Amino acid sequence: MSKRVLCKFFAHGACLKGEHCEFSHDWKAPPNNICTYYQKGVCAYGSRCRYEHVKASKGNSSASSSSTNPYQALVSDPVSPGHDTRTALSGASPIQGTPLELYASCRPFIPPTKPAWNEEFVHHDLLDDRDIGEPSSIRPADRSICSFAAAGNCPRGEKCPHIHGDLCPTCGKHCLHPFRPEEREEHLNTCEKKQKQLDALKHSQEIECSVCLERVLSKPTAAERKFGLLSECDHPFCISCIRNWRGSSPTSGLDVNSALRACPICRKLSYFVVPSVIWYTTKEEKQEIVDSYKAKLKSIDCKHFDFGNGNCPFGTSCFYKHTVKPGSYTWRHHRPPPRRPPPHRTNFVAMDDLFDVFDPLEGLQDFSAEDLFDEELTSFEMALLLMDMGSDTCDSLSDEEDFYSP
Amino acid sequence: MQASRARLFKEYKEVQREKIADPDIQLVCDDSNIFKWTALIKGPSETPYEGGIFQLAFAVPEQYPLQPPQVRFLTKIFHPNVHFKTGEICLDILKNAWSPAWTLQSVCRAIIALMAHPEPDSPLNCDSGNLLRSGDIRGYQSMARMYTRLAAMPKKG
Repeated sequence: MSKRVLCKFFAHGACLKGEHCEFSHDWKAPPNNICTYYQKGVCAYGSRCRYEHVKASKGNSSASSSSTNPYQALVSDPVSPGHDTRTALSGASPIQGTPLELYASCRPFIPPTKPAWNEEFVHHDLLDDRDIGEPSSIRPADRSICSFAAAGNCPRGEKCPHIHGDLCPTCGKHCLHPFRPEEREEHLNTCEKKQKQLDALKHSQEIECSVCLERVLSKPTAAERKFGLLSECDHPFCISCIRNWRGSSPTSGLDVNSALRACPICRKLSYFVVPSVIWYTTKEEKQEIVDSYKAKLKSIDCKHFDFGNGNCPFGTSCFYKHTVKPGSYTWRHHRPPPRRPPPHRTNFVAMDDLFDVFDPLEGLQDFSAEDLFDEELTSFEMALLLMDMGSDTCDSLSDEEDFYSP
Repeated sequence: MQASRARLFKEYKEVQREKIADPDIQLVCDDSNIFKWTALIKGPSETPYEGGIFQLAFAVPEQYPLQPPQVRFLTKIFHPNVHFKTGEICLDILKNAWSPAWTLQSVCRAIIALMAHPEPDSPLNCDSGNLLRSGDIRGYQSMARMYTRLAAMPKKG
């Protein structure tokens, strides 16, 4: 029945309940545009209200034309957070629970002269009547738990007509449904995971980069607020600092392998750097970050390999995907094409040469060569890659922006 | 440029905070230029430099900390790894073994360590290096002590 009113969260593209939503997710369903505050007497928005101000009698009739339950109209109230709070309880709550909870969530928007629960609502008696009217006809598992208790404190205490949930040891809220074991399990699991992540994030806040001596997560731009994990040791750096150091020109007298590729603190040689928004505390966590980074790169086609038409300097140890397209050079000859000579500048630029010049630049968009240092590289190629790197650092950073390693 | 400035500012604050913690090193930043620093270091005890106060000049490059600062002794010192005339220091961490994790403070510490443990095999001051290499420890020590007294100690009276 209530399915017939269009869900306003769905209409905004943000209904968290999906198919479990009591309201219609069908665009053809009529929206409920009646201002319930106006119906009750006072709407703070007055003429600026975006909902229809119709008289109670008319409103009721129109409301019941779209929905048999007049309280459903409340759901479309403009700012009710009830929808969100109840998603925490997950699952569709029976009609019984809905109106009272919604009153509860409406509370902050009523002028706080008196606590809302002491106020005599017009519908209050009616609701209680309904609750008392059919108390034992529903199974306990179908009854929703009290949202006040779940949020921290139920002012009704013992007299509350709803079930008070059990205390969740992690979040400290009474939000565990005593009669829904799967829901309990789910909440406990997600709660624990969230807590862990929060702790890790808190811990990460304190970590300083040894190059810029600043807290990594307090850097000014989002692209900088990332750690660069070295594969072989556990010293923390900003991703930009460690990349700048590893990418700094070898001409300054610094040795590539013994200085630049080594950890600035312990001088252990690391072959690649992994970006991460969070710092790890255990070896397993680090492995997880590294694995998910590699898995992400593995899903991106290697621009050097170019589906079998190009020659990837990292060969089989490349982190990116090497797909051989039918008809490509590798597909026809079962070996990668001969290495392309480095583009040289002449006065006469053929069209193909022009592409050769731009190709590597484009290819490096999501390929940061210095992550993938490999012994196969000659020092000249290294220098070339590093030069390309310089022009591409910003791009590669922003590319990884959306990548989140837990 | 911005990065080096920010980092030097951090180091400056750290130095202000740790002034008392390390009485052997006194790092001072130039009033008008954060890329110019001077340091006063105490000669380590049980060496011929004991009792002397040596002045160092730091010139920090704009690429700092990706490139090492240039450090030299302003006070004359007789040491196999310090050029007698220019004060240039031969120390691997100031050249090819530099790491951005070093700070000006830690460079000072490294120089104090170098004063206590000279490396006669890569000398900038050959006279001093030859004395040590030929095993004339006494000769080296008396020369070093003399120059310490001449150049690095406040004049008496």
